[in-house]
Amino acid sequence: MPYYLKKRIIDWVIHMFMFGLLAVTLLPIGWMIYSSLKENTDILIGKIPLSNARNNVYEIMLDGPDLWVLTSDGGINKWEKKSLKEEDHTTAQTMTTHFLLDKKNVWVSSANKHLQRFDKNDLKKSKQFKLPLPDFDKAKVVNTTIVSGWGKIYFTMGYKGFEELLEFDPIEEKVTRRFSLKNKLSPTQVRSLLPFKDKMLVGLDKGLLKLDLKSGKVEAVYNLVQYLPIGISRLRAINGKIVISGNTGAFLFDTAKGEVTKTLYTGNVLGLRVHGDKVYVGTNRGFKLYDLKTGKMEDHAQLFRQVRVDGTVIKDSEYAPAEVATLAFSGERLYLGSTYGRVSIYNVKDKRVVGEGAARMGHLVISWVNYIDMWRNVDFGLYLRNSFFICGLAMVFAMVFATLAAYALSRFDFPGSKSFSMIILATQMVPGIMFLIPTYSNFVKLTEMTGFPIKGTYYGIVFVYSAFFVPFSIWILRGFFAAIPVELEEAARIDGCSPLQVFWHVALPLAIPGIIATGIYVFLQAWDELVFAWVLTSADTMTIPVGIRNFVGNYQNRFDLIMAAATVATIPVMILFFMLQKYIVKGLTAGAVKG
Amino acid sequence: MFKNWWRRAVKYRVAYLFILPTIIGMLILHVTPIFQGIYMSFLDLSQFTLNQYLAAPFVWFQNYYDVLINPNSPVRIGLFESARNTAIYTIVVTFGTLWIGLLAALMVNREFKGKGLVRTLFLFPWVVPTYVTGILWGFMWQKEVGIVNILLKDVFHIVAEKPFWLIGPNTLWAIIIPTIWRYWPFSMLLLLAGLQQIPEELYEAADIDGASPWRKFWMITWPLLKPVWAILILFGLIYNVYAFNIVIMMFGFGAGFPGEWGDLLMTNIFRNSFMQWNFGVGTAISVLLMITMIIIVNVWFIYYRKAEESTK
Repeated sequence: MPYYLKKRIIDWVIHMFMFGLLAVTLLPIGWMIYSSLKENTDILIGKIPLSNARNNVYEIMLDGPDLWVLTSDGGINKWEKKSLKEEDHTTAQTMTTHFLLDKKNVWVSSANKHLQRFDKNDLKKSKQFKLPLPDFDKAKVVNTTIVSGWGKIYFTMGYKGFEELLEFDPIEEKVTRRFSLKNKLSPTQVRSLLPFKDKMLVGLDKGLLKLDLKSGKVEAVYNLVQYLPIGISRLRAINGKIVISGNTGAFLFDTAKGEVTKTLYTGNVLGLRVHGDKVYVGTNRGFKLYDLKTGKMEDHAQLFRQVRVDGTVIKDSEYAPAEVATLAFSGERLYLGSTYGRVSIYNVKDKRVVGEGAARMGHLVISWVNYIDMWRNVDFGLYLRNSFFICGLAMVFAMVFATLAAYALSRFDFPGSKSFSMIILATQMVPGIMFLIPTYSNFVKLTEMTGFPIKGTYYGIVFVYSAFFVPFSIWILRGFFAAIPVELEEAARIDGCSPLQVFWHVALPLAIPGIIATGIYVFLQAWDELVFAWVLTSADTMTIPVGIRNFVGNYQNRFDLIMAAATVATIPVMILFFMLQKYIVKGLTAGAVKG
Repeated sequence: MFKNWWRRAVKYRVAYLFILPTIIGMLILHVTPIFQGIYMSFLDLSQFTLNQYLAAPFVWFQNYYDVLINPNSPVRIGLFESARNTAIYTIVVTFGTLWIGLLAALMVNREFKGKGLVRTLFLFPWVVPTYVTGILWGFMWQKEVGIVNILLKDVFHIVAEKPFWLIGPNTLWAIIIPTIWRYWPFSMLLLLAGLQQIPEELYEAADIDGASPWRKFWMITWPLLKPVWAILILFGLIYNVYAFNIVIMMFGFGAGFPGEWGDLLMTNIFRNSFMQWNFGVGTAISVLLMITMIIIVNVWFIYYRKAEESTK
């Protein structure tokens, strides 16, 4: 092989390897920004651009020749019932939805878009209705529930403190009545609704509530925490009684007696339907069929193929148990919906799957809304101001003192200069916490003695930061002053300048690039500092790291908000760095290569 | 001798004016706290005696005995593990950043289009604050929703089951990898500057002699980069032993316990000091750590000097 060809091939391989390394390096940052723009629900089901995860099937409803497959991202799929072919599709583009079907329309409820209406025959036609909802904390996952009854639509929101039921007239297209759900168990959270006889049954997180719609009064409240500790997530009526279910099981409840009469199933219930005398309980592994007459329980488990998050079937997979979230009936045929958009047609008698389908890929919602939410929930503007103020002031002070000291060290061979530079180096070897513990105690003691507050004030933290970064700055700046030719200053001295004048008029202007580089480095370091700020700042003087720490502690599962906060903390320093990159790179490398 | 000393002091009296603010600041924030800290490590300074501060009962070496010897003391729980983790973490991170940084520096030190842009992009992670690094990687290591496991299992099908990263021995890697990711661009920056100082003639001469690239690296590049990597190793050792932010933010976002395989000495000390208000023990461990570091740094200096002299 000729020499130049070999060289080119090697060069090409190195090139590819370099770009691979670059991709791996940038991936986390890209992922952070990308996640901050996503819906949290998308993050939690593991949707990524390379392999879109399908959204979970939330509801399946049969309606004449059509099958409606409704997914958790507000996806509405109209399928042909027998062949499971898609006829129409749209998405409400919202999360944590609830669906309702009437003769003409599909209704979708959600906390951020309130109530939406889609025309059954043409899903493109839609209308959104704003409801008079109170201002609520959007950082919390808020479920909504809608049911229809007596020609009206009833809407409620699963938010602690919101104890209201709205009656919406679909013909007049407006809210006609509002019911208060205040009860003796308040504050409660509404989880489910069921129109039952002439009453409205409301499943709460603590029990069951009976509301008389005519008078608008709460008739009765049953505390059921001993059966369902986190509340009633589903309600169904059967033979004049009702079935309630939650994360611990399904129970038969007698409204006349006001008590649970039978335990049907123990375990997490994901879907609940009744049909004739039979109760269908969707669980984590298939569904259970409970016959109320005979009291027998049948288990159906092998219902779905195993799939990856993107919905592709894992090779040669048999039917396996999976979550059953919803069911619909058509004679002996059962339509089942599960995670990752899976739908199965199942014959109950033969215990056989006779058809399969998959809902369309979910719509990936990308929006700024997380940033707005985050800004509303935490005082991020304050943290940002504090960080800029504290780090900026600390940088200025540190630079002033460090410049003076570094100049003295590099120009004057004064007694003690050797030991002074040794001490400066030695401070870098002491763990920061060694300074922090006594400093913290000193500050507390000093305030106790003099009454002058230091801990939790700007003075305290600015002083600590300035003093803390001085030794390192001196160490770098000394290199810069050493690089300035002494002859210039000597010439100035001969011309009759005092040492101070020489410093001010000759040395300082020449050292400005170095001072800028060091200053930016100090600013970045101060921006990055967590421990001192954690211990020495208060609610008013909190910097970004401390604010973020408190914030993410409160929103452990809201990765979208956490990533938005992380992005906001990164962007200012990134911009600063790339504006002044030339100085920093030159300054730091000059110091290091010489040192 | 003394006369000479005095003459210099008078001659350069303006220097004292220049270093005065620094001296005052360092006295308050560096020198006094160190001596106070050392003194506090001999005190029984727990949450009950916190109010008495430096007047707390003087217990001589009780804290050191509790930390090092006493088999029944509660402060020793997890201390050995955190010391072991710190040792592994420091060594792997220091040399990992050095080698990856060197590799990247060699790669971007060639002539190609878009050289400046690639160098800039490589510096990106270094600008991400460490606490953000902790939060970000804590999210990326999540078992179900983390991108690492999604890539490993769902995209590339490398593993059959999604592993736990933030529980068990994997934790050690979960804290080492983000730290290397955060710090290697800095190594690259300094090593690149060092590489550019090496005269081209040396390589040309080696080419004429027919030296292989491997030999050229070991005989020219590596020895001439010595000032840079020596500094990088020294500062890497110091900074990584005292690493705190990434680890504390990764587990429970500052509220959680990093676990047997993720706990470092700094997080251990911080827990003892500011969460259990056991300042005596906290300072005692700090002092021990400081002594260890001083020994290590001195050994490094001696080794460095020797190597320096042998090359001369």
